[in-house]
Amino acid sequence: MRSIRVDRPAPYPPRVSAATKPFWEALREERLTTTRCLDCEDNTFPPKPICPNCFSSRLTWQPLSGRGTLYSYCRVWAGPEVFREELPYTVCVVDLDEGLRLGSRFLDTVEPEVGGRVTAVFVHYTDATLFFFEPEAARKNES
Amino acid sequence: MREPIAVIGIGAVPVGRYGDALEHELLLAAFARAVEDAGVQKDDIGGLVFSHPRTYAKQRYFATFMAGYLRLQSAATVLEVVGDGMTGGLAFDKAVDEILLGKCNVCMALGVSMETQVASAEHMNLTMRAVGDVDFQAPFGFTPISWYAMDAVRYMHEYGATREQLASVAVKNRRHAGLNPIAQYRDELTLAEVLDARPIVEPLGLLEVPPRSDGAVALVLSDLETAEKLDRPYAVVRGRGFFHEGAHQISDKPNSMIRLEAAREASRRAYEDASVSAAEIDFAELYAPCTIVEVLASEALGLCPEGEGALWAQRGETALGGSIPLCTSGGLLSRGHPPLATPLYNVVEVVQQLRGEAGERQVRDAELALTSAELGNYNAALVHVFGKSV
Ligand SMILES: [Zn+2]
Repeated sequence: MRSIRVDRPAPYPPRVSAATKPFWEALREERLTTTRCLDCEDNTFPPKPICPNCFSSRLTWQPLSGRGTLYSYCRVWAGPEVFREELPYTVCVVDLDEGLRLGSRFLDTVEPEVGGRVTAVFVHYTDATLFFFEPEAARKNES
Repeated sequence: MREPIAVIGIGAVPVGRYGDALEHELLLAAFARAVEDAGVQKDDIGGLVFSHPRTYAKQRYFATFMAGYLRLQSAATVLEVVGDGMTGGLAFDKAVDEILLGKCNVCMALGVSMETQVASAEHMNLTMRAVGDVDFQAPFGFTPISWYAMDAVRYMHEYGATREQLASVAVKNRRHAGLNPIAQYRDELTLAEVLDARPIVEPLGLLEVPPRSDGAVALVLSDLETAEKLDRPYAVVRGRGFFHEGAHQISDKPNSMIRLEAAREASRRAYEDASVSAAEIDFAELYAPCTIVEVLASEALGLCPEGEGALWAQRGETALGGSIPLCTSGGLLSRGHPPLATPLYNVVEVVQQLRGEAGERQVRDAELALTSAELGNYNAALVHVFGKSV
């Protein structure tokens, strides 16, 4: 999977807690992960210190492939003040192959296609790493 | 409902831009009109339920400040409620509760929302924290209406609906607003103007997303016995339903984002509570900040066929004179959208229509109506069914 370095801080960096630190540390190492319940086997995103399916606190970390399909997207032309520098940008909803839906940013060097295959891109800002997505084809073209 | 509740007085200032006006003074204008409209005396008013004013409102503890300002004693309740876009709907619903619980015979629901004092981009620094997980979604730059725009993309993908069909909702609502003296934007719009407007959350442009608005509404509610004694025209709340789907913007377990499950379940409960069916509803005033939201809500509430909401809008079925007029006030797009007061404005429109006081935009033979309020991406919905009579 591709990664990008951005020479500035993230516009709105996430907070890191004891519970989510393993996620953000893995992300910095370019691995997407989440929590899975040891009792009912259900997974969830974002990772949580409780299973939202059975409320068990017995959880483990599950690696995610970073691959999925694009459920939807839109291009933001008017955004929050903190994102002014990045406008316009495309946000998206992605359904991962592991049966999890998440929100993210879409790197649209090509026109996004609903239902199209996408793959994660690790974006290293100076203060945080985020997970964006791009069409799977774009990744192939690069390699 | 256990017993129907009457809306006996309405007061609303025209939606617009009120600059440096003070929140409580703007609300007082609506308050005075509502009390006069209801014909109640000060001592009749047993409780006050307010929409929490924006975080920016200088006056804090707004509800108790107002009780003091009006020197109004209450044995029922004086409080502010909060629930994002649903706030005004919750204020109304809580006022209904107070009467149903027997805590008072007359309760007021009030809301003032001043949006134009803070620039849009600055305001979004705050609202982006409301419409998503602050740590796992906000860092990507989602805005409240970006979720609706993604609904639009998905809806067009699934049903083959066109941009023109969606945009026709904005044209229709503007035509309705032209007939509403309290609407913010009343000049006729063309389809081309809507389609050519500058993009905000592409594919949606400026005229398919809500304007920036200020407004204030006051409503007087009572039990039926009180309403009858007052001998003035009133409308009746016949049923209500609420549902939260247990998801915030998106479910982490993939489902249909455009079915608006909460609206389906809340309306099913409201219809059952009122002992009516969706087909019996004569018109509806929906909480729909964007064109696409009106389309999705119209389907979820059972007012338009599945997947045909946009088509129905284009065909004029949802316009005045059509089979199910939607947002006869002009809706959030053209009447205007002071979010924390918006659901209360929707009640004002429904009451005017049911009392036969809507003038040029009167729905003929209007007897049953519906309002919806929501939060997030319709993750929760609050639906009320209103009747001309019990
Ligand atoms: Zn579990």
